[in-house]
Amino acid sequence: MISILVCDDSLVARKQVAKCLPSDWDVAVHFAKNGQEAIAGLKQGKGQLLLLDLNMPVMDGYETLQTIREHNLSTQVIVISGDIQPEAYERVMQLGALGFIHKPVDPATLAKELIKLKLMNEAADGESRVILDADIRDCYQEITNIAMGQAGDHLARTMNVFVHLPIPNVNIIEASEMHMMLSDIEAQEEVSAICQGFIGSGICGEVLCILSDSSFEDVAKILDVKDKVDDQLQLELLMDAASILIGTLLSGLAQQLDVTFAQGQPLVLGQHRAITDILQGSKMQWKRTLAIELSYGLEGYNVRCDLIILFTEESMHTMNTKLAHLLEDL
Amino acid sequence: MQGSEQDDMQGFHWMMDMLQTVDVGIVVLDKSFRVKVWNGFMESHSGLRPSQVHGKSLFALFPHINEAWFAKKAKPVFELKTRAFMTWEQRPYLFKFYNYRPITGSEPHMYQNITLAPLTSTSGHTEHISMMVYDMTEIASGKKQLEAMQVTNEEQLERQSSR
Repeated sequence: MISILVCDDSLVARKQVAKCLPSDWDVAVHFAKNGQEAIAGLKQGKGQLLLLDLNMPVMDGYETLQTIREHNLSTQVIVISGDIQPEAYERVMQLGALGFIHKPVDPATLAKELIKLKLMNEAADGESRVILDADIRDCYQEITNIAMGQAGDHLARTMNVFVHLPIPNVNIIEASEMHMMLSDIEAQEEVSAICQGFIGSGICGEVLCILSDSSFEDVAKILDVKDKVDDQLQLELLMDAASILIGTLLSGLAQQLDVTFAQGQPLVLGQHRAITDILQGSKMQWKRTLAIELSYGLEGYNVRCDLIILFTEESMHTMNTKLAHLLEDL
Repeated sequence: MQGSEQDDMQGFHWMMDMLQTVDVGIVVLDKSFRVKVWNGFMESHSGLRPSQVHGKSLFALFPHINEAWFAKKAKPVFELKTRAFMTWEQRPYLFKFYNYRPITGSEPHMYQNITLAPLTSTSGHTEHISMMVYDMTEIASGKKQLEAMQVTNEEQLERQSSR
C-alpha cells in the first residue's frame, strides 16, 4: 500500500485531488492544509507520494520543497497548482519536484503522471467518476473569479487591506460529503458562521461565511473597532464582514448571469463551535449541490475566512443553460 | 412648485423601489383574482416575471390554491373592508416556494403568513385587495424543533415515573 499526502489549503481542492486518484489503487490518503503540516506528515511516514499545492499560508509549496531537501525527507513530489507561469514550473522542478500538474486536476492527467513516475501500472484504471463538465466548471470558476475581483476591490477600498484573491474551487458535492467538506476547512479551531440565502430567476442557494475565532482580533483592527472584542462585538464584526463579502459576490454573480437575487436575512449558524456542529440539526433535503469554495486571506493579518456558495441541483440546470450560452459565444 | 413636484416624483420612485426590494411578497388582486401587481419577492421566489402573471388569474397560475376557499377568505375584505389573515400554523403555505435555506435548512418549503388588506379606490369602493406574504420559515422550524423536544422530554419523564 502506498501512502499519499495531499497538501492544499483549500478543502475542495484536497477533496478533488483525492477524488482524482485512481479508484482501484490501494492507497492510504492523508491530508495537510499547509507545508508545515505536510512536513510533519512526511516525518510520520504519511507520504510516499506528496501532491503539493504552491500557494498556501504558513508554509508555501516552494518552502516545503526546500525543507524536504534540507531535511532529506524521502518522498516523491508532484506539484498541483493554479500558477501556470513557466517560472513556477522551472522553480519547482529545480527544487526537486518530479511532476507539475495544472489545476483543476483531472483523473486522466494525474494517472498519466503517476504512470510516468512508475508509481502505478499502465493497466490500472485511470478513470474515476467525472463530476463536472470541464468547460462548465471553467465557466463557474471564471464568473466567480470576476465576481470575486469586484468583491476584493470593495474590501480593499473599505478596509484598506490587500486581499489575496483565492482561486475558486468548483465542485459537486453529495449530501453525505457535506460534513467531510466542512471538517476539512478547519478541524482544530473553533469557528463562527453565518449563512444567507438567495433566490431569483430559478436559481437559489446559500452562502456560508465561516470565520475562525482567532481572526476576530485582527478583523477588529481592520474595521478600526477599538472596543473590547466580546461576543456581541464578534457577531457584529462577522455580520459586517459577511455582508460585504456575500453582498458583492452575489451581485457580481447575478450581474454575469443576468438575473437579480433576493437575499434573505443572514442567519447565525453558531458561534465558537467546531465547524461540523454548525450544521447540526439540519436534515439534508437535497442529494447534491454545486459548491464554490473561496478561502480569503488578508496580507499582514491573521484572518482566515471561508466563503462557500451552495447552489441547489435545480439551480444548476438553469445556470448551465445560461453558461452554455456564454460558451457558444466564444 | 416644480421643486416639490420633483420631490414627490423622487419619493414615489423610492417607494416603488422599496416595494420591489422589500423582503415581503406584495400582490394586488382584482375582484376576479387577477394579478395586478407582483413585486420582486414574488418574482424571485416563484420564478414568474410580472409580465408573465399580469392580468392572469391567481388560480390559473397556482392551480394548487383552492379557489372556493380563497374566495371565501377574501369576501369580507372586499365587502367589509376588514383584513383577513392566514397563519402558517393553520396552513403552512399558500404559495409553494423554496425557502431561503434550501441547503442548510430543515424545511423543504417556505412557511408563510398571509395578510389580505382592502385597497379602496377614489370612489370609496374596494375593487382590489392587496396580499402580503411573509416568510415564517425560521420561526416555524424553531417552534417545531422546540415542540419535538418537549414531546421527547415528556416521554422521558413518563418513562422514568412509570419505572
